[in-house]
Amino acid sequence: MKEEFKIAWRNLWRNRRRTLITSASVFFAVFFAVIMRSYQLGSYDHMINNFIESFTGSLQVQHEKYQDNPLLDYSFDYTDSTEAAILGVEDVVSVTPHLESFTLVSSGTLTKGVAVIAIDPVREKNFSDPETKLVKYRITEDAVKGLNDSGTVPEDVLEKVKGNLGRAYSSLARLELELDLDNDDGERFIPEILKWTEVPNGYLAQDDDGILVSDRLASYLKVGVGDSVILMGQGYHGVSANGIFPVRGIIKMPSPDIDNKLIIMTIPAAQKFFDAEGKITSLVVNLTDQSNRLIKTAKSRINLLLKDKSITARTWYELNPILYQQIQGDSQSGVAMLGILYFIIFFGIFGTVLMMVSERKREFGVLVAIGMQRNKLKRIVTTEMMLLGAIGLVFGLLASVPLIMYFHYFPIILKGDLANMMEDWGWDAVMPTAWFGPYFYWQAVVVGLMVVLATIYPLRKIGRLKEIEALKG
Amino acid sequence: MKVLELTHVNKIYNSTEVKVHAVNEVTLDFMEAEFTCIVGPSGSGKTTLLNLIGGLDMPTSGEIVIGGTNLSKLKSSQLIDFRLNNIGFVFQSYNLIPVLTSLENVEFILLLQKKTKAERQQRAIELLTQVGLGDKLHKRPGELSGGEQQRVAVARALASRPRFILADEPTANLDTKSTENLLEIMEKLNHEESMTFIFSTHDARVVNKAHRVITIEDGGVKSDLVQQPH
Ligand SMILES: Nc1ncnc2c1ncn2[C@@H]1O[C@H](COP(=O)(O)OP(=O)(O)O)[C@@H](O)[C@H]1O
Repeated sequence: MKEEFKIAWRNLWRNRRRTLITSASVFFAVFFAVIMRSYQLGSYDHMINNFIESFTGSLQVQHEKYQDNPLLDYSFDYTDSTEAAILGVEDVVSVTPHLESFTLVSSGTLTKGVAVIAIDPVREKNFSDPETKLVKYRITEDAVKGLNDSGTVPEDVLEKVKGNLGRAYSSLARLELELDLDNDDGERFIPEILKWTEVPNGYLAQDDDGILVSDRLASYLKVGVGDSVILMGQGYHGVSANGIFPVRGIIKMPSPDIDNKLIIMTIPAAQKFFDAEGKITSLVVNLTDQSNRLIKTAKSRINLLLKDKSITARTWYELNPILYQQIQGDSQSGVAMLGILYFIIFFGIFGTVLMMVSERKREFGVLVAIGMQRNKLKRIVTTEMMLLGAIGLVFGLLASVPLIMYFHYFPIILKGDLANMMEDWGWDAVMPTAWFGPYFYWQAVVVGLMVVLATIYPLRKIGRLKEIEALKG
Repeated sequence: MKVLELTHVNKIYNSTEVKVHAVNEVTLDFMEAEFTCIVGPSGSGKTTLLNLIGGLDMPTSGEIVIGGTNLSKLKSSQLIDFRLNNIGFVFQSYNLIPVLTSLENVEFILLLQKKTKAERQQRAIELLTQVGLGDKLHKRPGELSGGEQQRVAVARALASRPRFILADEPTANLDTKSTENLLEIMEKLNHEESMTFIFSTHDARVVNKAHRVITIEDGGVKSDLVQQPH
């Protein structure tokens, strides 16, 4: 065995250049494949985690018909005991109730169809946390005028403020970022700017009968904190729902689509308004981590707990099939690309094998003639082929390790519109690599398969070798 | 003692359009310690005959018996083992494994015979010294001259302690001096180790060194003479 290995190893370096070129091609393929996969999977994970954390949660408990018909009629009774039971399921970290519906809102002569999301103001902080989206600063005409008249800030700073006229901010950091003042100016003039741009705002109390209105909707309706609006719509089982609601706060939703039409209120207020006593439409369940396996297990455990069989738990990807399909599609096209890459590399390896066999035909003949069993010769050639694949594979994997580790802990920071949008949502605009997982070991499987395929040819040649023909050269 | 016996051996090639009777009704005996040369013009059937004797090819008819074993009774893998333990081979050229040194090349055949490391080394060094390559044990074939490579091949052929050594035109690619040198060594080993040699050639100088000369023409034995080497 040791001798066979020695011969195989030395054979490998008979044509040093060819071996190096072949190994290098395997090396680059593996390296590229690992890095690319790591980035792809890492960004999917990042995206999914963000998405789960701010929108759907890992799972939602809903009426089975709610997914296709998001109507109040498909709401369900929400009790503390259901919640306690679900919280008791392994790996569940939080349970957040929602009551969601549609209604009309009007103020004066202005009317608009809006989405209503009813929440538990305290528990929602663990999930989408609307409090952080409350508008704290707003650059209005008045603010710019006041700032100008006060004469406390220089012209260039004022220009920058004017450049953001009409913008509203939920955090100081965001305001500073967009004003883009240098450090000195920032320290000196930000307090002054804040004085003029700061706006009063409020969050919902536990049993509040008021509402939060999204920023664009509020400006359409021309309402502010302290004003009231009228909601009119249909409640549970078609009863008509009407009410006057004071505006407690304005929230800035990053997506313009949502910002145009969102009203948030407390669950008791909504239940009363929609005449849906004790009902909610969904229960958002968050888990300790978002692996598919964990989500599936939690789903079946929760479903076992639910006594009413029309109520069911759905995973984030069942709730968002399109997003899930997009990710899958993207991932598959990545895999297909690597498939093509490996396909090309395979022909490189195969070419090397073809040349090797034709060069060594006579040698194989001599070896079998003097008394070497074909199987032994096959083992040597197989060892040689495995070494040929292994060199590139091992070095490719090794070379990728530091990069994957580095960019996992220090991810690439994104810039531009996408980055801004992500930051608005409260996400880190970064692209981390995925930690070592099956994708890493798969490269070894692929290279192994390529080697096996390429080895079939010389093994067949050796198996069919006719001594006298091989000896002729 | 008889080491090799051929009775009514025929080899007919049908592969081409014309039937070629490459070996025609050959009946021969070889005794232990003979130093035999097979001569004949190119295309007379020398290589075909040696391939049959070496168990590298099967006769169309007739029997080849080596040390009591009828070659045609062996399966392919048995035949390989039989060759390993009974026949030493020296080919025209490129006999050796290029990635192994002289020593390793000779040891290799002993390795195939599953001899111990110590035994392998001792015998390989001894034989390489006998063929005059004691100072080139660690040279690879590429670093040796053609004559030296053939000497390593002879040492290897001898190492496995075969019943006889077959050499098909072993000097075909050698110059006069190396040819003489190789034949001297073969003769010495024939003498000292009582090793049977059967080699082919179409070179008259080589023929002169043989003790027995078998002349082949058109696949048949034309003459079979014992001579004083000169
Ligand atoms: N594989 C083969 N197929 C057909 N004819 C062959 C084959 N091998 C050898 N021959 C023919 O058999 C005859 C003897 O060839 P060979 O044994 O090589 O002669 P020598 O070694 O004396 O030159 C030649 O006519 C040759 O053309």
